[in-house]
Amino acid sequence: MNPAPARPPRIPAWLLRLAALEEDRFAILGDFDEEYAELVGELGRAGASRWFWRQGLRTAPRLLGDHLYWRTIMFKNYLKIALRNIRKQKAYAFINIAGWAVGMTVCILILLWVRQELSFDRFHANADRIHRLTLEAFIGAPQSAPVAPTPAAPALVREYPEIKAAARIDRPRPAYVWNEDREFRVEGMGAADASFFQVFDFPFLSGNPETALARPYTAVLTESAARKIFGAEPALGKFLKGEDGKSYAVTGVLRDIPQTSHLTFDILRSFETLIAENRAAAENWFAISNYAYILLNENADPAALEAKLPAFIDKHMGQTLKTIGGKMVLRMQPLTRIHLYSNFALDIAPQGDIASVYLFSGIALLVLLIASINFINLSTARSSTRAKEVGLRKTLGAVRRRLMGQFLGESVLYSLLAMVLAVGLHFAGLRLFGNIVGRPLETNAFKTPWMIPALFGLALAVGLAAGLYPAGVLSSFQPARVLKRQWRTGGGVIFRRVLVVVQFTISVALIIGTLAVSRQIRYVKERPLGFDKNQVLVIPRLTPSLRKSFDSVRAELMGIPGVQEVGASTLVPARGIARSAFFPEGFGVNEPQPMDTLSVEPHFLAALGIRITAGRNFSPDLPTDRTDSVLINETAARRFGWADPLGKRFVLLSGPGDSAGPTRYLNVVGVVADFHTLSLHQKLEPMIIFDNLDGARFVSARLQTGNLSGTLDLIKKAWKRLDPGNPFDSFFLDDVFDVQYRADERMKAMTRQFGLLAVLIGCLGLFGMASFTVERRIKEIGIRKVLGASVAGIVRLLSKETVLLVLAANAVAAPAAYLLLNVWLRGFAYRAPLSVWAFVLAAAASLGIALLTISAQSIRAARGKPAEALRYE
Amino acid sequence: MRELSKIEEILLVAICRLKDQAYGVRIRQHVSGVLDKEFTYGNLYSALHQLTAKKFIRPATGLPAPSRRGRPRVFYTITPAGREALQCARELNAKLWLGFPAFALDKDKIG
Repeated sequence: MNPAPARPPRIPAWLLRLAALEEDRFAILGDFDEEYAELVGELGRAGASRWFWRQGLRTAPRLLGDHLYWRTIMFKNYLKIALRNIRKQKAYAFINIAGWAVGMTVCILILLWVRQELSFDRFHANADRIHRLTLEAFIGAPQSAPVAPTPAAPALVREYPEIKAAARIDRPRPAYVWNEDREFRVEGMGAADASFFQVFDFPFLSGNPETALARPYTAVLTESAARKIFGAEPALGKFLKGEDGKSYAVTGVLRDIPQTSHLTFDILRSFETLIAENRAAAENWFAISNYAYILLNENADPAALEAKLPAFIDKHMGQTLKTIGGKMVLRMQPLTRIHLYSNFALDIAPQGDIASVYLFSGIALLVLLIASINFINLSTARSSTRAKEVGLRKTLGAVRRRLMGQFLGESVLYSLLAMVLAVGLHFAGLRLFGNIVGRPLETNAFKTPWMIPALFGLALAVGLAAGLYPAGVLSSFQPARVLKRQWRTGGGVIFRRVLVVVQFTISVALIIGTLAVSRQIRYVKERPLGFDKNQVLVIPRLTPSLRKSFDSVRAELMGIPGVQEVGASTLVPARGIARSAFFPEGFGVNEPQPMDTLSVEPHFLAALGIRITAGRNFSPDLPTDRTDSVLINETAARRFGWADPLGKRFVLLSGPGDSAGPTRYLNVVGVVADFHTLSLHQKLEPMIIFDNLDGARFVSARLQTGNLSGTLDLIKKAWKRLDPGNPFDSFFLDDVFDVQYRADERMKAMTRQFGLLAVLIGCLGLFGMASFTVERRIKEIGIRKVLGASVAGIVRLLSKETVLLVLAANAVAAPAAYLLLNVWLRGFAYRAPLSVWAFVLAAAASLGIALLTISAQSIRAARGKPAEALRYE
Repeated sequence: MRELSKIEEILLVAICRLKDQAYGVRIRQHVSGVLDKEFTYGNLYSALHQLTAKKFIRPATGLPAPSRRGRPRVFYTITPAGREALQCARELNAKLWLGFPAFALDKDKIG
């Protein structure tokens, strides 16, 4: 026979190679070659090639069809085997799939939330061209707020052609409204210019957006507010009565405000109403309490416009500012940055913050990474127990690629099952997660178009990665060696150890975090505040007319059994501060001292339980107290270096920079013990207290313990008698004070939930490692037992590695947690020192959990009969 | 027992006849000769797969052959089940044609 046969034409040979099943690729190509070689002898090369082409072209399609047919048959077969494997190893399959599914669920939830946070206010068509005006004022002390002078918005539109529209909105507040004589409470009732709906896109269900708020005494409602107040009847054209007793015509009904709007309200009155009621205030440039939004023209440059604003301020306010020695800077804040990037003490509504978006994204990434590596790890560890099966299959003639395909297919199937589970689980987690982040999630994975394909891709990739090791390493084993258990896999061990350390580092750090955060929250809640926040009922509804007759109001309330003391004040703790500059004795005109100011009715201090440490309280019998006397707190005395503050004075200038005017003095008649008006995030500042009821809005009543609800009822009735025109409203001081720690509580919930999760996932990784180690050392254990090792000794031997790894994790986690917690604690002016116990406890807990996790594996291995472990030889 | 298709029957007979030469090239040449037309490898292997799946024949890889540029031949041998199936087919054929001689067809044609 010809030793070097002629080479057949390449193209049809290539076609055949593609079309054929890989098992008989060689057989078929060999047949073609052989016959070709024979034909070359008979017909010559050209004839043989013609035959090859004809035969090849006719054969290929049929081969391909056949190929596909067998592929599907085989796929069904593999699926069957894979499902059988799941059933055979229920515990393993459950742990692996569930762990990966939980990881993916967390990731889905966080992604949905991050997406929601990032999409804030983007539903407005012109979102990129809308800006909010913010103001920095330097009058006495620097202050900044996202508000603008009331006349600024219309003036800007008049004076700058690049501004297409501007709208003012009065901050939406809780309010009562009436339909006929039925009373309803709404969470947000504001007022807005007619141009509001030109700037923003809040879709109307009925009414005309252009004219809805054009006239005084008109209002638009959201759909749910309309349904609440007017029931099923159409609200348009109906009237509702406000707290001011006026009737408002409903001129529009809006679709409900999306969750992703920084601005929320139930009812908007027309701003024209406010103008009609108080034209002077609407034209006062120093009435600065409304929020203003401007819509720029398409080509306008925001930076260029912002550069012109100082001139604008100067034109309208310069004269007055110069007189009072103040300065104001008007700025523009892009709408889409309000939710995440603004950090004003008094925003229109509590906003999110970009740091937590980063934090959560980081957590999502971390959880995903750990869970996916774990999945890969567990699959790998488990596959080592199948080495024998692979050896057997190979001896029986399994092709390597088929084996690889089977391993890959199995892990991909597991991964996809986990994905399906995760998509199901995330529905259950939406509410829980909404509670943790403090804002409900309005979306789900199916409402985000890229989510499902992305998850599918992820599950596929991780499944493939998890199958690669067994597919690559196991299928390359030489059957004889595998069956004799002479195989070693070294590389995976280091990887697995690192993984366990990383996972436990995160778990330990989160455990430490949970302990420390709880401790700090307990600390700030239990720390003496300088007043007794419990049992104080606050009625924030002292009207000017009630102020005039406060003595009778107080007498009426004091007459109620259970009421111990009643006072009034401009502010109560946790309801903000007012800060101004003062000139204490010994400080020059150019050294103004910022102080928190509070005006009270003398009984207020007793009602809150604020102690007087020196001097006396204001006396109702001394009229001069109203004008010349003040109290200061201990911090003020310390700050000003007054060892004996009684009799010290503040200089009251008639106008800043105007020293020629008549000078008045405020005499310090008493010192109060320091008390916290803000959360313990803030440092106590010097405070000055006046005896003055002007502007007092809050009535505080200290109640006796006991029949609280009965007392509350009586107070409500009494108030209705005193102020029949207005609705009653009240809150307990401890409630609102603790609300200030809501973000911290959320932090605590977050570290706890994610800590639990991290521990769970870490244990999965450890479990994988333990089963792998035990499997590998089974023979060693057998020999040791034959030589007389005890069960306890072997358990100790097997646990040693785990203990070392967890200790290593602690060594990394403790300093990391320490640093991170210090950053967090820096947000508190008053902090509980980090206790070493948190670190010790976390170390002990992590060790305990780790040992418990591997105990099942190691005890079983240690108690096994050596004969069973060794009988292969 | 499932009946054999005609092509399967032909292939089984060919594999039996070719004995230790029952591999792709020879089987195809044999079947082409029987059918008196070119039988393609596509049809050949498709049918061989079916027969293998039914466990009527068993493939075995031989040694690499120089005339096949180093590729091994895959030889097919009939299994006991295949033999039985072939036996059935033969009996069926015999029964089918029993008492119906070839000239009967000719007569029909003429008639």
